[in-house]
Amino acid sequence: MTRRERASSVTRAFRAPRRPQPSQRLQSLPIPQPTQRPEPLLLESLFDSAPESWIALLSQPSLSQHLPQGEVEVVDSVLLQRLASIAGGFTSRVSLEPPDALLLEVRGSFQLFGGAQSLCLQLLERCRQAGVELRWSLAPTPLAALALARAGGEIIVLARDRLAGVLAPLSLKVLGWPAHTVARLDAVGVRTLGAALRLPRAGFVQRFGQQTLLALDRLTGAAPEPRRMFVTREHFRAKHEPGFELYAQTMVLQCLEPLLLELEDFLRTRQSGIDLLMLRLQHRNRPPTRIDLHLASSELLAKQFRELLALRLSQLELLAPVQRIELRSGPLQPLVTCSESIWRPGEHGGAVGRESPALIERLRARLGSAAVYGLCLIPEHRPENAWGIAEPGVGRTSVPKLTSSAMSRRPLWLLHKPEALPSALQDLQIVEGPERIETGWWDGREVARDYYIARDEAGAELWVYRERMPPHAWYLHGVFG
Amino acid sequence: MGQVTPDSPSEPTLERLLEHPAIWRGRSAARTATLGTGCRRLDDALPGGGWPAAGLTEILTARSGLGELRLLIPLLATLGCELPARWAAWISPPFEPYAPALIAAGVPLERQLVVRTTDPAWAIEQTLNSGGCAIVLAWFAATTHSSKSTQLSALRRLQLATQRSQVPAFLFRPLDEAAQSSPAELRLFFEPSLEGGRLKLLKSRGGERRPLDILWSEWRKLNRYESKQGKPARDIHDQT
Repeated sequence: MTRRERASSVTRAFRAPRRPQPSQRLQSLPIPQPTQRPEPLLLESLFDSAPESWIALLSQPSLSQHLPQGEVEVVDSVLLQRLASIAGGFTSRVSLEPPDALLLEVRGSFQLFGGAQSLCLQLLERCRQAGVELRWSLAPTPLAALALARAGGEIIVLARDRLAGVLAPLSLKVLGWPAHTVARLDAVGVRTLGAALRLPRAGFVQRFGQQTLLALDRLTGAAPEPRRMFVTREHFRAKHEPGFELYAQTMVLQCLEPLLLELEDFLRTRQSGIDLLMLRLQHRNRPPTRIDLHLASSELLAKQFRELLALRLSQLELLAPVQRIELRSGPLQPLVTCSESIWRPGEHGGAVGRESPALIERLRARLGSAAVYGLCLIPEHRPENAWGIAEPGVGRTSVPKLTSSAMSRRPLWLLHKPEALPSALQDLQIVEGPERIETGWWDGREVARDYYIARDEAGAELWVYRERMPPHAWYLHGVFG
Repeated sequence: MGQVTPDSPSEPTLERLLEHPAIWRGRSAARTATLGTGCRRLDDALPGGGWPAAGLTEILTARSGLGELRLLIPLLATLGCELPARWAAWISPPFEPYAPALIAAGVPLERQLVVRTTDPAWAIEQTLNSGGCAIVLAWFAATTHSSKSTQLSALRRLQLATQRSQVPAFLFRPLDEAAQSSPAELRLFFEPSLEGGRLKLLKSRGGERRPLDILWSEWRKLNRYESKQGKPARDIHDQT
């Protein structure tokens, strides 16, 4: 017994129920929709195992054929994107084949999903749940998988040496070659892939060109086919049109609920979080209401989003009923998970961890993001520029040398804007000073001031300055609280 | 068997019951957990020997910026070195807290959280209940006559929230509110004097009644290095 015969007899022994031969199955095109899905045909070999296994998913044309031309493309691309995000749950190597096909390399996922057959069935089940009916097949090369799927075969070919036999009876049309190439091949009596593969290579190149031969080589795996992988969307976008108008915040929240759950699912499969969520409420005759939710830390839980959106919505007055809700996420960020604290907040002196960002988010949801801020130090001589507003918790910890050494006393409070004082300073008593600050000529906001510490009649210490330029006006700039 | 004799040591006697922090009798100082103020004489004058570690403290001044914030700077610096890191919340401050001065006083900037709001009571309650704050400073604007009762109920809520969360909250209020009743743990009046200030306890559970004159020079110079190595930041004078 030769090695090949032994291998195929092993394969036959694996096939539990008797099935029709592949050629018979594939020729009966198109396949009628089976009521219950039979187990797909599995072709493998013990001694020859291809390094790659590609699944081709081919969407049924039924959905889009009634639409005008422009919309067909849109519908198809949306469908492919959706399929690709489902496929992302099975393998990271997903490639789009517009207009209607998707290719997945799944060799590395067999172990996890319990073998090739089980993986295919699970993938199809997920697609069916998403409401997509597909033709599919699995083969060692992407082109072969695509050709088999186009021919309607639900077939799994794991071994490269079995591939030529399966492809041989297929019509040349499944390759999607230009019509004149197919016509010329037809003219010389080549109508199947098998016949094309049997042609002498040198003559084939002369007549049909290098590209056509390369396509044949790629089909059988004799030449590699590098593919561009699909990168998952960086944004979540979903909309909901309830079919009736929403006139209350609670109704809006209710309609948001499924979108938020979808968002959580979306984020969870990517192990990422978002720190920006945009909500758009569309009205009939008004410009849409926009709500941008900025989060202090990246978040993925629908519960958290709902709570914050509810706070924001409660601040909002709906000027017109809402017809449509759109939800968009900001860029995805890698999720940093951390343990929850053992105590409830406030218990045993409280605990931090998740609480602090949550506090900032809650405050910002109601007061606006500009109303909640941290402080930071800027190495600058101009007093109003020596501090800045920072994201809470990222203030500079190290004290710049400039300020610690060169600084004389500074007030705890700074006024938002220097306040002009009456020029006669009878009620003020100068305690310390002057300290001259004269800088900033390079950016057009030059200051030339003499700062004094003064005490007013109530006993409060004030930080005042006198302009060095005429008219030498006096200003109050800080209070030693 | 199983009989407990009346003089058994496990039997709670009246004295032991009266030591409970929730019970306060007349002029005796209440036994509550406190936080050191950074000034020895002020510590002695306050009931329990420091700022209440849980509860509202009201500081009344004629106007903002008279020096009342300086009373709390040592506490902010000490709490700023505590771990785990928690916010010090500044709720609707009258001016901008000036970062260089805070740094110079040893207050870590990365733990300061400024909240600007017209509804300070809500923000205070949120910060207290979050468990992410070590101290809350809040400035209440003067109230109109009609909203006094709502303010009182808001203060009562806040007092409960501070006790539940064991976080001290300091309210800075105008002097005209002194006549109003308040559920605060401690109320004091502050007025500046030369190089210091005069403090008067308006309401306290057994604190010093006479006005106290303090000088800024008396305050323990607090910098980060000292407080990290020195005694523990949270002085709990009475362990119950």
